[in-house]
Amino acid sequence: MIEIILYDGLAFALPLLIIAIGGIFSERSGIINLALEGLLGFGAFTGAFMVVMADHFLPGSQPYGIYIGMAFAMVGGGLFAMIHGLLTVYYRANQVISGVVINILSMSLTAFLTRQLNAIIFNAASNRFQLGVADRFTLPLLSEIPVLGAVFTKVYPFQVVILLVALLAYLVFEKTPFGIHLKASGDNPHAVEAAGVDVKRVRFAAVMISGALAGLGGISFAYSISANFNPMIYMGYGYLAIAALIFGNWQIGNTLLAVLFFGFARSAGYELAKALEMSSTFNDIIMTLPYMLTLLILIFFSKQNAAPRALGEIYDKGKR
Amino acid sequence: MPSFKKSRPGRFLLHRLGNEKWQWISIPLLSVVLAVLTGSGVILLMGKSPVDTYIGILQGAGMLPKANYAGGTNMLTDFMSFLDAMAPMLLAALGVTVAFKAGLFNIGISGQMLFGGFLATILVGYSDLGGLVAKPLVLLIAGASGALVGGFIGLMKYRYNINEVVSSIMVNYILAYFISFFIKTHYINPVSRQSEYINAAASLTFKGVALGGVKVNVPLGILLALMAALVVHYLINKTRLGYEIKAVGANRKGAGYAGIPIGRTMVTAMMISGGLGGLAGATYYLGYFASIQPGVLSDLGFNAIATSLLGNNSPLGVILSSILITILDKGATFMSSKVGVVKEISGVITSLILLFSAMGAYFRYLIAKKQEDVKSENREEMGE
Repeated sequence: MIEIILYDGLAFALPLLIIAIGGIFSERSGIINLALEGLLGFGAFTGAFMVVMADHFLPGSQPYGIYIGMAFAMVGGGLFAMIHGLLTVYYRANQVISGVVINILSMSLTAFLTRQLNAIIFNAASNRFQLGVADRFTLPLLSEIPVLGAVFTKVYPFQVVILLVALLAYLVFEKTPFGIHLKASGDNPHAVEAAGVDVKRVRFAAVMISGALAGLGGISFAYSISANFNPMIYMGYGYLAIAALIFGNWQIGNTLLAVLFFGFARSAGYELAKALEMSSTFNDIIMTLPYMLTLLILIFFSKQNAAPRALGEIYDKGKR
Repeated sequence: MPSFKKSRPGRFLLHRLGNEKWQWISIPLLSVVLAVLTGSGVILLMGKSPVDTYIGILQGAGMLPKANYAGGTNMLTDFMSFLDAMAPMLLAALGVTVAFKAGLFNIGISGQMLFGGFLATILVGYSDLGGLVAKPLVLLIAGASGALVGGFIGLMKYRYNINEVVSSIMVNYILAYFISFFIKTHYINPVSRQSEYINAAASLTFKGVALGGVKVNVPLGILLALMAALVVHYLINKTRLGYEIKAVGANRKGAGYAGIPIGRTMVTAMMISGGLGGLAGATYYLGYFASIQPGVLSDLGFNAIATSLLGNNSPLGVILSSILITILDKGATFMSSKVGVVKEISGVITSLILLFSAMGAYFRYLIAKKQEDVKSENREEMGE
């Protein structure tokens, strides 16, 4: 049972992690990103659409479907994030409002496009794109280790990709000049500008990266939770990621702990319900677990955390 | 863009939009026009006619006559049904507006609607109370329970510094799942997969009334919603509480220095906002509909944000914008069956309106800047 909690928890935690890292990129550069929910949804939509297209027009592409999906989810999420970037960085829109606008736009646009594209291209009246099943693999030797072996059991391919991308993102964030400029833009944009760096461009790039990472997380949820893309992708997980990054104090390392906590709490809830032989009607109650935990965590951790200092302020060169 | 400043239509547009006295209506109109044009582009891309689409939407919402009607109905039936649908939209948008005035973003209207609607349904909807007792009781219970949820979110914001958008979404899902659980275990109708229908006495809409030879639904909710708009207008503009709410919304710290109790004002504003959300839920689940679909949060709570922004967050402006957004929402099903564009296009146009409304501040900024340019240019010309 511990094993199931571990590998199911990881399958939920890792997509959440990459979305939260996306949020960290944006927020540490000074742009509030409540748009993660919409970005993960639009990314998942783009990825899923390309998978279905490849499946339809390129027979034999099936085994690579999940990789096509992940690549295009990142592209789609990144492009859609440009709207948030334009609105907040260049058009002086309120960052909170813009984020919520992106989410609503994403929900309605993907609902429309999924139905309409299904009708036009595949002659089907459907509100979903069916994805192939992602084969979970088990590493032969490592999985034999007691308890911890579960980490190497029933692994989705996307989990490996997410880990690699997360590592790369961590390196960019902590070790490159871009990462330093990004963090400085969120704390003291005027100093960055004085050093000859274009703050607006840094922030715009950070928002696009957050879209790409959120898209990767979105397609992973689509593969692991439902094996298709449908409007149910908007389950508030983007907001869970925001709670996780607040819990993690805008640090990638701490945020990893936060998402692991979310993931294991969720899978433990399901296992508990199974162990107590509760009927499936109680699933509704268990589904509230991540949301309740989020609220509790926010109550305990929101007061003492240190948000980036220039977070949410419209950057104006003339203002000091 | 020199060509813009020099060209005649450019100057005309600038003159029209630049007049600040009219910006309350001209900027939202610009948002709507841009959204309709962008929406038309999307429809054209799908190989359909935008004109037919928009006419279909107007017909479906009872604004234009259809070619033919089912027996016992006519355009009045559609129009009354439109009013029935507009009531919860107006109430929900007023809720968003009140929160906005206090500088808060109540995205939890859907949850407040559901909570209010659910409690009113199980406490009054299934009882044997007569209409005169039941209907006011429905409003009271739904409004109070919505206010409770709103107040909770406001308290979390003030007391623990929790972003109200994040907490509202969490509360939305928690409520949706819990209510889904109770409906599925206690109140489910096995055939419709929804909660059992409420008794007619508790319904805020008189269904199937014979009027002028046709059957129509007469919604009490629309009267309530219009009255609420006037009350909110009065509250915001003429009362001390309204002044305090606006002061906290404009500058939280400044309001604090001026001796306004920030926490109490924020919580009160969120209670009013949530209460309006609860009333919206009453007119939605116990008026326009008579049952609740378990596990579903209404889109209306999100569209209400578009409605409020488009209405410049003014209670009277929101009346106009809720007419427009409800037309889009209500007319879509008929349009879809007639023109063949899927009905989700309405949501796209609504969110495009929202997108362009969010850019309203930028439009104002651009216009002001362009006017400055034109002025300085004129000065140069006169100097020569």
